[in-house]
Amino acid sequence: MPDRLGAPAAGGDDAGTTARGPGRVLVAVYGTFALAAGARAAVQLATQFDEAPVAYLLSAFSAAVYLVATVGLARGGRSGRRTAVVACVVELVGVLVVGTLSLADRAAFPDATVWSVYGQGYGFVPLALPVLGLLWLRHLAELDREAAKGGPPPAGSAPPADPAPTG
Amino acid sequence: MTTPLVVLATVAALVVAALGGLSTALRRRTGLAHLAAAGVLELVLLVQLVVVLVQLAGGVRPPETATFLAYLLSVVLVPVAGVLWSRTEPTRWAGTVLAVAALVVAVMVWRLLQLWEATGA
Repeated sequence: MPDRLGAPAAGGDDAGTTARGPGRVLVAVYGTFALAAGARAAVQLATQFDEAPVAYLLSAFSAAVYLVATVGLARGGRSGRRTAVVACVVELVGVLVVGTLSLADRAAFPDATVWSVYGQGYGFVPLALPVLGLLWLRHLAELDREAAKGGPPPAGSAPPADPAPTG
Repeated sequence: MTTPLVVLATVAALVVAALGGLSTALRRRTGLAHLAAAGVLELVLLVQLVVVLVQLAGGVRPPETATFLAYLLSVVLVPVAGVLWSRTEPTRWAGTVLAVAALVVAVMVWRLLQLWEATGA
């Protein structure tokens, strides 16, 4: 009967990886945005490139960034995470710069991009996503550092308590 | 393309999302309830697909036809992808992945309706 809501979950739901656990949610959202932005850019570039080339090229660029972030998060590991950090930073800068420009100079953006007005057309998710991504990646890096200091991580046990703030 | 069907799909999607969130909160994987709810959602989406295809065959054309068709076809795949993904996820976050997929569907159906109503008919 309780199985209707699913069998008990495997332990280690705070496992320090982007390939399992909460990191997977991030990968899912990033994947969705890579697809959405990519499809949108493809349609716009194919059918109406002349109308707003800047906006459509930006859409294509943001799609590429989301794709890189998705792959980096999905692969995990040291290099995957480094890739994801770079992509998240580019994304954050992109959404802030394009968001500001789209408000300041509407003429340059006759058609919306994913990043226009800080991602308003997408419920501001494009603004929140890189921040969440960077926070999660920082959390993973901290877990890594603790593991390096104190031997193997306590697999399957409760997540390690936050270290007391020092200095 | 009709508003009642979109509302129905939204309700089904929100049920799936709530179930997904619940199993994450209870530290469980996804189970029969999720499968059933996602199945209902998929059914509604398939009905909508058929209804729209019939209308398209009848000569109605939304202005951004390519975008509309892309949304129409991909929205049907999202619950399937969400279920498959959540079944392979052994942690309690399986439900949240499914919930994300369901919320994406809820947004997409309204965007579809918007694209359709731009027909101006």
